[in-house]
Amino acid sequence: MTRILSRAAQPCLRRLSVEATHVRGAFAHNFSTSDAQHASPGLRAVPEGAQPPIDFAPVTKPPSARPIDTRKSQMIRTYTSLLRTTPLILFFQHSNLTAVEWAAVRRELKKALDGVAPMTAAPGAEPLDLSPRVQLQVLRTNMLNVALKLVEFYNPEVAASSTSTKRTSKGPIVHDLSEAAYEQVKNAEISPESAYAQIEPLMVGPLAGLIIPAVSPAHVAAALSVLAPVPGKFPAPTRKKNPGYYDPIFQNGLAKLMLIGGRIEGKVFDQAGVHWVGGIEGGIDGLRAQLVAILQGAGLGITSTLEGGSRSLWLALEGRKEQLEGESKGESKGEAPTSS
Amino acid sequence: MITKFMTEVTAKFNPFSTCAKPARLFLTFLPPDVRMNGTAVHTSLLPRNSPESSSLKVKFKDGKEMDFNCSKINIKGLVEEVDRHSRQLQKAADLSE
Repeated sequence: MTRILSRAAQPCLRRLSVEATHVRGAFAHNFSTSDAQHASPGLRAVPEGAQPPIDFAPVTKPPSARPIDTRKSQMIRTYTSLLRTTPLILFFQHSNLTAVEWAAVRRELKKALDGVAPMTAAPGAEPLDLSPRVQLQVLRTNMLNVALKLVEFYNPEVAASSTSTKRTSKGPIVHDLSEAAYEQVKNAEISPESAYAQIEPLMVGPLAGLIIPAVSPAHVAAALSVLAPVPGKFPAPTRKKNPGYYDPIFQNGLAKLMLIGGRIEGKVFDQAGVHWVGGIEGGIDGLRAQLVAILQGAGLGITSTLEGGSRSLWLALEGRKEQLEGESKGESKGEAPTSS
Repeated sequence: MITKFMTEVTAKFNPFSTCAKPARLFLTFLPPDVRMNGTAVHTSLLPRNSPESSSLKVKFKDGKEMDFNCSKINIKGLVEEVDRHSRQLQKAADLSE
């Protein structure tokens, strides 16, 4: 019965929708509150032959190439912002950790990080306590892979100046889920030197990321001593000091976590590289001190070399003078020493 | 994958090469309680620039050892090979019961 009714109503409905678009078009033409000249200053900078703006796109909901309400799309957005803002991510492979083991691992990690002194970002600034912001987070490998590509190969400014990019009255659509981003990443040539080409083989299997919001070697060292201890360099806490570390649940979880690499300030490091970063004594301050020492040494070297030239000249002249004096003395004494 | 009859799994891989994939995925196929059920799992990482390809060694309860070069086999083949022997052991165990 309903089917018959709906079939009967179809032509009418179709008719209605046609009329609705007409009406909407008329409204857009006649009853706009702002005229074309004042409406959109962004439009004037549009290059020649650009696509006409898409109407009725609210600022909070720009058109997207990917379906926006899926988990994957939002994950791409989360990961791109994470990769753009976080300078230090260490990647771990986690092979079937149970929830209890994850809890134990996070507990031990927190315990270790709480012992680290807060770092000072710049001399004179207030020390910043990073430890509550350090997270051990499970990452979706394939979405992270896409996000890594986006971060490296997608340039929103280039897309904004391109003629083929879609536009709204508020400006070009260049967010990470836009069609422009998709096209640019799809057509990107991945050179073997790029960071993505280096990190791509890591993106296999279940991955977890240790996210540290600043490059702080002290925090890296503390985290490594718990999650990937190296005897001698990053020793695990002793049984007396931290009995929780020798809890069988934690040890079982630890056996399944494996440090495979890191991404530090856009560069890709392997295990040895991560150990090197964790081993920088005194963090950024230590590096600064080293640099100052090097520069001072260079200054000293320069002055001594510059001095050295004149000094050696002076020495040579002085030597020659003495020699000549000696010769003249010898000549005045007699020719015996010169002839022998 | 039948992991009941394995006594030792040794994986060695360089995560920055593509041939690490089968070895890494094999580790994720082991169930969470495999270490408590009498299987020793050893993993070692090769440095980034090492030319050595990834390898996986599996020892079984009957003493058989399997050694795989991961650049020549994928994870499917790996699981198949290991399961083939495990099924034989399973059959023998079922008959002796």
